[in-house]
Amino acid sequence: MGHHQNHRILMVSDFFYPNFGGVENHIYYLSQCLLKLGHKVVVVTHAYGNRSGIRYMTGGLKVYYVPWRPFYMQNTLPTIYGLLPIIRTILIREKITIVHGHQAFSTFCHEALMHGRTMGYKVVFTDHSLYGFADIGSIHMNKVLQFTLADLSQAICVSHTSKENTVLRSGLPPEKVFVIPNAVDTAMFKPADQCPSIEEIVIVVISRLVYRKGADLLVEVIPEVCRLHPNVRFIIGGDGAKRVRLEEMREKHSLQDRVEMLGAVQHDQVRSVLISGHIFLNSSLTEAFCIAILEAASCGLLTVSTRVGGVPEVLPEDMIVLAEPDPSAMVQAVGKAISMLPEIDPQVMHKRMRELYNWHDVAKRTEIVYDHALKCSNQNLLERLSRYLSCGSWAGKLFCLVMIVGFLLWRLLELWQPADEIEEVPDVILPDNHHEEMLHQSQ
Amino acid sequence: MDLRSCDKSSPPRPRWRKVAYGGMQTGYGDNYTDESFLEGMVTNASVVKRDMIKVMLDSISISEYLCIVALVVLVWTLTLTSTLDENSLLFLDASLLVSGFLILIFTQESLCFNLLLHYFLNISFFITGLYVLAPIYQTLTRSISSDSIWAVTVSLLLLHLFLHDYSGSTVITPVAPKNPALSSCISVNASVVASVFIASRLPSRLHVFAIMLFSLLVFLFAPLVTYCIKKYSFRLHLCVSILLIALTLSFVYTLDRLLFVVLLSLLVFVNVVCPYWLIRLHEYKFEINGPWDEAKLCFDITD
Repeated sequence: MGHHQNHRILMVSDFFYPNFGGVENHIYYLSQCLLKLGHKVVVVTHAYGNRSGIRYMTGGLKVYYVPWRPFYMQNTLPTIYGLLPIIRTILIREKITIVHGHQAFSTFCHEALMHGRTMGYKVVFTDHSLYGFADIGSIHMNKVLQFTLADLSQAICVSHTSKENTVLRSGLPPEKVFVIPNAVDTAMFKPADQCPSIEEIVIVVISRLVYRKGADLLVEVIPEVCRLHPNVRFIIGGDGAKRVRLEEMREKHSLQDRVEMLGAVQHDQVRSVLISGHIFLNSSLTEAFCIAILEAASCGLLTVSTRVGGVPEVLPEDMIVLAEPDPSAMVQAVGKAISMLPEIDPQVMHKRMRELYNWHDVAKRTEIVYDHALKCSNQNLLERLSRYLSCGSWAGKLFCLVMIVGFLLWRLLELWQPADEIEEVPDVILPDNHHEEMLHQSQ
Repeated sequence: MDLRSCDKSSPPRPRWRKVAYGGMQTGYGDNYTDESFLEGMVTNASVVKRDMIKVMLDSISISEYLCIVALVVLVWTLTLTSTLDENSLLFLDASLLVSGFLILIFTQESLCFNLLLHYFLNISFFITGLYVLAPIYQTLTRSISSDSIWAVTVSLLLLHLFLHDYSGSTVITPVAPKNPALSSCISVNASVVASVFIASRLPSRLHVFAIMLFSLLVFLFAPLVTYCIKKYSFRLHLCVSILLIALTLSFVYTLDRLLFVVLLSLLVFVNVVCPYWLIRLHEYKFEINGPWDEAKLCFDITD
């Protein structure tokens, strides 16, 4: 590989397979593509059930499942220093150069980034979500984020809206924040071989049926759409607290034969659900990026979505119909999408998506961020403390204290278990033919 | 493609667009920050400018309720020290009941006979129940030592004051149909428990009945009555409040100088210091809204 510098990257997050979601997907695909570019990638997450210890995934991707209990929504208990010994050992064993944390809710990520900085590693953080400024929960989260990001080398956001949000929340200079969107594995999301007929129009919804995903909006929109367009049928995939409300709506308007509820859909089943439809409906109330839209577009579906968060940036205007999160606007948008349908060719749509989104492109752009991070100057503890001090009159002092104690603990660990006593892991070079071709690059 | 057609047109650097698709934009790094950065941010959009006088007038209803509770405590102390006998207590109950009813009747635009009958029936059931249960209240917490009773009563009253819903009524009636929040339910319960505790220190059943009726009337219906007055006319509300405050202060003054000072400073704190404080702190209000906020649904969700 004609690459000037090979990085050794530690991906840290509470969220990784076997859990499933956007962040998990992002870490997996990004790691796979970075491995292909010749970098070394190690993933660290907490143990899932009895999945604990070291596992290898496709392409020699090494995953440490640290035996650390999650306590709430797959998040580990914040212990501040509890993870320092194991993170330090992994960093030294794997000869890591860059620590890359994912997702602001992940306590594991925050701790690893903090210890990484204490030990003088370059740290990069990817923010996958949007956060408001109004309620107590957000205020607390934003303070924690400010602490973690105060001394960050570089940050990555998944959309421009997310960048604005992160800059406001953390006070980072905007030029330190890169926008690198998610991508979609277009090989996995191909349209059906023959176009479904347009006689009966099928609208697909796949999302968790919860308030934030706009399930209540669906309850208002679906009966109205069914009333206005007699040839429309809905397929709803997903489960959640609001499923009962949707079922009630179905009973109340006697739409049992026109609204099909599938329940939770496994990720490998998503494509087969998507290709049975013509239009994909996303009703989220907040969304940093929305991978579901990419998957639907890649399957050749026209998307109707609420105009929230980063969604307007995701697709070109002719591939998506946006509406304000208001029932009548949504019904109108669905009507517009139905009138656009005859001109939509799923195959053409899929081809365009292959040009627009590509994980290899994401990996290359992330590589540039790593290069930037490595160019950041090394700073000693005192210089770094001054940055924490500027985080707030009380919080700043508290952050400094936390960092100083962390530094002392690290020094203690150095005495107790010197770095050169920790065995380094030899790099396993997998011969190329062992690679299971997971990512089919677009030519 | 859009991007390519941009490339072909003469300027070497196509305009940057706020989009996430199509890979890195030619000529711009991923950390490029456009002038449009934070364009969608709105600060202090829904902040209400507050007026000192208005806040002070609004805070009067808090002082009013503080005084009502102080008067209840006053009556309790007087009964405990046998200054008030049961007959005058019963007379007080009856006059409170009648005046409360009159206020309810006069502050409503339309009088409905059925509603009045409904109220009357309910109240009579309530009083009968209370009378039957009075012996139980008298002995329920008798075995607890008096010191514990005072301590618990004081803390329950503080809890009651802390959680009380000063803006509305704590009981649901056709006049105030809003469902009370959990905290105001806890507040009402705390006050009832405090009354039960106090009742156990009284000498006779009639005393217990009279004092329980008095406390329940005040704790349950005083918020409703003040709410009705406030809804009827704000000026009347102010007059009633000031009258109540003056009454309480003079009573407390005759009882104990220290308590008087404490109550007076509390009232000053609530009516003058807190509003000033709020106005001062308001200058620091910094509200940020933008495209990253969760969208609000414009319709009601009925679960």
